Amino acid sequence: MRLNHLARHAGLAVGGALALALVAAPAAVAQETATVYVVHGVPDTPVDVYVDGKRAIDDFEPGTSQGPVQLPAGPHKLALFAADAADGSGSPLLSADADLPAGGNVTVVAHLDEGGNPKITPFVNDVSSVPAGQARLVVRHTAAAPAVDVLAGDKPVIEGLSNGQEKALEVPAGSVSAAVAAAGTTDPVIGPADVDLKEGTATFVQAIGKLDGGKLSLVSFTVSDLHSSPSGVPSGAPSGAPADGGAPAWLLVTTLAGLSVVAVSAVRLRSAARR
Amino acid sequence: MTSAPGHRTRSGALVGLLAGLVLVLAPIGVWAATPAPVVAAASPVAPALPSAIPVAAVVPPVGSTAPTAPEPPVRIRLPALGVDAPVAPVGIDDRGRMAVPLDVATVGWYRFGSGPGATAGSAVLSGHVDDREQGYGAFHKLGDLAPGDPVTVDLAGGGVVAYRVEAVSRFPKTDLPVGEVFARDGAPRLTLVTCGGQFDYREHGYTENVVVVARPDVS
Repeated sequence: MRLNHLARHAGLAVGGALALALVAAPAAVAQETATVYVVHGVPDTPVDVYVDGKRAIDDFEPGTSQGPVQLPAGPHKLALFAADAADGSGSPLLSADADLPAGGNVTVVAHLDEGGNPKITPFVNDVSSVPAGQARLVVRHTAAAPAVDVLAGDKPVIEGLSNGQEKALEVPAGSVSAAVAAAGTTDPVIGPADVDLKEGTATFVQAIGKLDGGKLSLVSFTVSDLHSSPSGVPSGAPSGAPADGGAPAWLLVTTLAGLSVVAVSAVRLRSAARR
Repeated sequence: MTSAPGHRTRSGALVGLLAGLVLVLAPIGVWAATPAPVVAAASPVAPALPSAIPVAAVVPPVGSTAPTAPEPPVRIRLPALGVDAPVAPVGIDDRGRMAVPLDVATVGWYRFGSGPGATAGSAVLSGHVDDREQGYGAFHKLGDLAPGDPVTVDLAGGGVVAYRVEAVSRFPKTDLPVGEVFARDGAPRLTLVTCGGQFDYREHGYTENVVVVARPDVS
């Protein structure tokens, strides 16, 4: 079940239910918008998401994410209502004010704090380019659980991550066996599962749910096209010397042999001269 | 004749000394007299890769694959140079450069980039020029290619992608336009890279890169 979650959500391509209500600004003014992802990490509570009083996501299921959507830069009011609520009036389950920077890239996570109370936490997404051959992995602790370690192939790669915190790694692209364990331990509470980190991408993984009752899972999404070019092409001579230049090995041998004959002869000449 | 033994010793030592000197100097003379072939001779240093696409070469070749999962190339043939070499996928070395196969007879394909036959981007193949221990590499004469020369690449699935050389350029290693060479977008093309110029013994490498750009052959 947990395995399933991890595998299913790694590299998730996100649909666009949010898009209709939120894309108000024309695409041409990209610099005046911000890119937004939303993650629903409060267990057992489908919600409707309202932005500035308008319903943006209907029946947002726990354990899923949506995005990216473009929102006009500037202040916004975000409110989450129970999914069966008639409209955006009354008191929401959760609400927050968000001031989105132009050109910014953020994730808004509705989740439980360490004590199990729902809250909203915004994260800035690092979508800067990734070194050639590598992938970025960003892990966010947004679950009702104490501090955790993230293990890759049984080795801790992130240690002591607490609720509300995130940690980014740049790792060689490829498949890693990843798991989450209580800080200082290696007994997984999520996973292990194989996560395919493609070159030139950033994968954002949110740990959600609560430890009590075993309701921990991961929600992730991936941002592509962050690759860099290799810095060069060293297509010269792999041994460090070319076929046509430099002294070949046989020359070194003859030179050394010749020098030893010279040295021995010189010593003999000297001792002969002394007699 | 009390000095005879000493005399003999001295003569023997003198002969040894001379023989040793000959042994040291003669091979050096032989080696120095051997002419060094010109490596990867190409057109003069070009300031930039050609950006114009020939009118005849804008249609993607048969055997196009999705850009998301390129089909690995397994062989490259350069009939003009008599080259028919195996191709292996490569990534990045420990200095962030494209890894090139240690075997100079094998050509490396940058597996994180575009693939031959893809609908967009530059598929990059690189091979060593030569090596003291292994001799000449598959791309030793790459700089001798001329515009119009055919290039064919065999894919792992059995497909064949045909290209024609558009341009041959050379760049100082430090000025290689890596953004263009490794671009994953733009018109589909094959970029062949090797080394050229002088060998820098302190850097253990050549001073230049020879870059051949080929476009899909639609004829």
